[in-house]
Amino acid sequence: MTVKTMTPREYGAMAERGIATVKPSVPAISVGLGTCGIGNGADVLFDALNDAAGDRVLIKKAGCFGFCAEEPLVMLYSPGKPILLFTEAKASKAGKFVEAALDEKAYDRLAKSARAKISRWDFRTSAVEFGSGSPAIPEWNELPFFKGQEKLVLRDCGLIDPENIDEYVAIGGYSALRKALGMSPDEAIAEVTAAKLRGRGGAGFPTGLKWKMMRQNPGARKFVICNADEGDPGAYMNRNEIESDPHMLIEGMAIGAYAMGAPEGIVYARAEYPLAIERLRKAIEDATAAGFIGDNVMGTGFSFKLSLVSGAGAFVCGEETALIASLEGKAGRPSPRPPFPAQKGYLGMPTNINNVETWCNVPVVIARGAAYFTGIGTDKSPGTKVFSLVGKVKNTGLVELPLGTPLGSIVYGMGEGTGSRKRIKAVQTGGPSGGCIPAERFDVKVDYESLAELGAIMGSGGMVVMDQDNCMVDVARYFISFTSAESCGKCAPCREGLSQMLRILTDVSQGDGRMEDIVELERLARVVKDSSLCGLGQTASNPVMTTLKYFRNEYESHIVEKRCESGTCEALFEALCENSCPLHMNIPGYLALLGDGRIEDAFELTLRDNPLPGSMGRICHFHCQMRCRRDTLDEPVAQGEIHRYLADTMYKMGREKDVWNRLVKEKKPATGRTVAIVGAGPAGLAASFYLSRLGHEVTVFDSKPKAGGILRYGIPAYRLPKDVLDKELDLWKRLGVKFVFNTSIGKDVGFDSLKSQYDALIVASGAQSDRRLGVAGEDLEGVHAGYEWLEAFAMGKAPKPGRRALVLGGGNVAIDAARTLFREDCEVTVAYRRSKASMPANAVELVGAEEEGIRFEFMLQPIEMLGEKGRVKAVRFKVMKPGGIDPSGRPTPVETDRVVDIPCDDVYVAVGERVDASFMGEGRFKAAKDGRVAVDRLSGKASGNVWAIGDAVTGPATAAEAMGLGKRAAKAIDEELMQRDAFGDLFREFGHSMALPPEPTKTKMCRSRLVPPEERRGNFQEIAQGYSGEQALLEATRCLRCDIRADARSPWR
Amino acid sequence: METRFATSTPTGTDNGTEQPGALLTTLEEAQRTDEYRHLSEATLRKVALETGEPLSRVYSVATFYSFFNLKPQGKHTVIVCRGTACHTRGSLNLLKEAAARLGMPEFREDEESSFTTDDRLFTVRTVACFGQCALAPVISIDGTIHSRVTQGKLCTILDAMRKGAAR
Repeated sequence: MTVKTMTPREYGAMAERGIATVKPSVPAISVGLGTCGIGNGADVLFDALNDAAGDRVLIKKAGCFGFCAEEPLVMLYSPGKPILLFTEAKASKAGKFVEAALDEKAYDRLAKSARAKISRWDFRTSAVEFGSGSPAIPEWNELPFFKGQEKLVLRDCGLIDPENIDEYVAIGGYSALRKALGMSPDEAIAEVTAAKLRGRGGAGFPTGLKWKMMRQNPGARKFVICNADEGDPGAYMNRNEIESDPHMLIEGMAIGAYAMGAPEGIVYARAEYPLAIERLRKAIEDATAAGFIGDNVMGTGFSFKLSLVSGAGAFVCGEETALIASLEGKAGRPSPRPPFPAQKGYLGMPTNINNVETWCNVPVVIARGAAYFTGIGTDKSPGTKVFSLVGKVKNTGLVELPLGTPLGSIVYGMGEGTGSRKRIKAVQTGGPSGGCIPAERFDVKVDYESLAELGAIMGSGGMVVMDQDNCMVDVARYFISFTSAESCGKCAPCREGLSQMLRILTDVSQGDGRMEDIVELERLARVVKDSSLCGLGQTASNPVMTTLKYFRNEYESHIVEKRCESGTCEALFEALCENSCPLHMNIPGYLALLGDGRIEDAFELTLRDNPLPGSMGRICHFHCQMRCRRDTLDEPVAQGEIHRYLADTMYKMGREKDVWNRLVKEKKPATGRTVAIVGAGPAGLAASFYLSRLGHEVTVFDSKPKAGGILRYGIPAYRLPKDVLDKELDLWKRLGVKFVFNTSIGKDVGFDSLKSQYDALIVASGAQSDRRLGVAGEDLEGVHAGYEWLEAFAMGKAPKPGRRALVLGGGNVAIDAARTLFREDCEVTVAYRRSKASMPANAVELVGAEEEGIRFEFMLQPIEMLGEKGRVKAVRFKVMKPGGIDPSGRPTPVETDRVVDIPCDDVYVAVGERVDASFMGEGRFKAAKDGRVAVDRLSGKASGNVWAIGDAVTGPATAAEAMGLGKRAAKAIDEELMQRDAFGDLFREFGHSMALPPEPTKTKMCRSRLVPPEERRGNFQEIAQGYSGEQALLEATRCLRCDIRADARSPWR
Repeated sequence: METRFATSTPTGTDNGTEQPGALLTTLEEAQRTDEYRHLSEATLRKVALETGEPLSRVYSVATFYSFFNLKPQGKHTVIVCRGTACHTRGSLNLLKEAAARLGMPEFREDEESSFTTDDRLFTVRTVACFGQCALAPVISIDGTIHSRVTQGKLCTILDAMRKGAAR
């Protein structure tokens, strides 16, 4: 094909045509039409805009601006004004956009919903001023998602039409090629070498060096190849780079071809990317027609022919020798190196292969020079890298950052955390060749070396965020199942080793693993890494090795406890609700029994799993609801409300005695072993219930006059009436558990004497030691510690509160104190240092408090207590404002200059509690820094015959979690004392119905009747009245019965 | 006829035998134009004869790449993305749901990469990654990508598709 060489004047005309649409002198609207956008309706929107605009407004196509989470993206151009960026634009709003483009008033109206503006854009090969104005709208790089991004590779993406070569030329495109052609090939290579550009496919090999070696190799024909076989699951930056700006790839390759003396080029692209292939093909045709590639480029005598091949779906073709085999029409199996492709590659000729993003960097390096490039990023790793930030993160999309950016600022800064209260557990980088980096290591700087030190790799740039609901054993299994399937089978270590690793991981995930498996896995991982032929095998172990390194406890849980805490490995639980419940209550079971009309059996089933069904049904945190599958349809099932109903009904009818008698009768024969428990709270009660049923002689010590701990002394009666608790505690007496009240360990009885008198000693002393604020005036009269005050109030020992009560804090203790004070006729204000959405208190408690008229003040950090004659009269606060997202997933409160005082008669400081286990003896039980008792994670054993459970181990947690630890320790203690496996005998099968419910229709959760707020002042009557029989039955039928499947089982039954 | 993936015709080469990736391209084209979008034994023999490649090599290539189907495909194709982002957001359950709804509850992805219903109306398969990770989990139905799919949304889509197919 002969192409006529264009004159400089003709190029000028191209650029002029291009700038007319890049920076239009008429109103215009552009739509991001990448695959992501189209997948979210951008194509429909584009058509709607065209229909609405007719020929009145220019409607433009653009590539993707990267904010995939909020697609479709629309940009509104108005001459002299900044571009306005709109996100989540709907086709139904097309008319509004067109109107705004034409009419000033409509523009101002619409501008209010703009997400950001772009006043000026640096295309790197040129810069364009769009205009100024709209001061109220943030610049694009002030949005959290874009803040800190450096768009070097994505320099044009979203701002030009990828199908219009004129626009690319207009913003300086192909000027780098022209510049390179004016240099000698060696000079061009020297520039790339000086820029210290490294391979962006993941390995990070110096590009300049690679080019130099290639240039030195003589060959009848020489090839440059672009590896666009982006096979890493979880990575899609190459797709977007080609879709949004195909000419930068062509230009980069043309420069490389010239520098290396390789006049033929091939792009090997994934078949799964049809749009990228289509756009690149058009771009190649246009560039050839314009004479930027083809014969005698720009009259210099340099020729470059570029062709495009679509792969056929084989991950191993990302390996350069396999890719070459694939191009040669063979199965894509790699071959040993040397010879390297630069010596003997495609068709046996010298061949250079670089990744898409590496090529895309080249025009910038040449156009702006090496010094410009090395000014970005780190000394060893200059420049930027594009990452696909995806998974459990709020702002998903493509982020481009200078190398060396800390991982945490990507995840919490640009990603803004999970966008929910879920805790981020890890980030997986580098796809199947990479590793999992735990949240504790998010301070790591993202560059080639730092990630490798942690056992991960940068790879092609996939960054998948995982939260508490993701299982790390499953992640390892997922990747090995992928690499094992994608292994080409040529070398034995990869082919056999990976399938053996997969077998072991499958066993572990199904509860059939053994501890020896971990050792075997590690050994296999090393062998496969060291002896595989190509990169696929050499890196395939990384996901296993990093999860074993950072998440070994999860493997151990799967193997020893047969438990998958995150609720992923389905063979290890009955249903997600059961798995999330710290007590592993058989929730589908009692719901089914209720449906079958077997109330007594349903009650007995709940009681065996949770000895305080009435109390916990009222005050539980309801872990079960958080993972209820029904929630994805409408609302979760109110599992707890139902077991409260079961208990209340049985107690009302007096029929609980029959069930209790059964439990007492089936008590195991006395073992002669003695167990002492320090603390009669939820943890101690759960442990004593199971241990006494197992036949042990159990004595529970508590410093208070009655049993119940936080249930009695912390939680106010309007949430949990004490007669319900007293009724349930009767069972302990019947079981023969001995209580020793009003006795403090370390004061009335020595810890060591207990330890020597009993076969086992359990510390269940909780976490009730109030934290202090550490501000001036905290010791003034009228300043109370929150939890301490609640206890005193419950025992009738609290002094009469003053009229104006000020509660500091946002947790349950703060709300309990506030609502108690409201009932004591106080005017209550709660001040919290974060926002309402950030409050850790239960949502239902918060709503209740608001209904009662309790005043809330947010974003206030107490800095001083002001007093008069030794008594507090006000609290001084610093006004805070929300900052970036912190690891708890909430915006960090940041100080402002403003200060406010809130006058009051009493202050209640409820800013958290901590563990005080000093009675155990200082430092003897490897106490963590914050005073928590260190125990073996699986059994709860501290050392010798001492165990610890509940908040004393975890710090302030929920009553259900404390009971769960008590239950687990009871099992472990019985196993150790008796060398038997008898725990399972404490449960029984009830043979309930196993019929799948009919296809669900949307229904809301049943709500129980509440005492109206106006009737709550001055009394402590229970607010929630509980379900009627009809409501309970109806609610039970909402269960989707996730337990009905072949492999459902619980480690507890 | 499904037009899921565009096949490429390399440009800039005049000589068919030297065209890079020629065999892949030929097979992709043969599959695209086949009524059931698959490569039958007859097709493979024909390709071998026409390209002059040994049948063993044609077969080796056809079985190596996941893009090629050796079994006839259904009229409608449901592809569940099993990329990492989709996996972490629950795509395995979507795959199970799709399989169960279309009458193949025992389908397991580690044993087969796809299945087709007996009436050849539906094929369910997986893909390593669509590169639509930001909108995970995604599925493709007859080439149209659906993003942020929930179990409920999937059921609605499949039921509508089944009704359409029955007509």
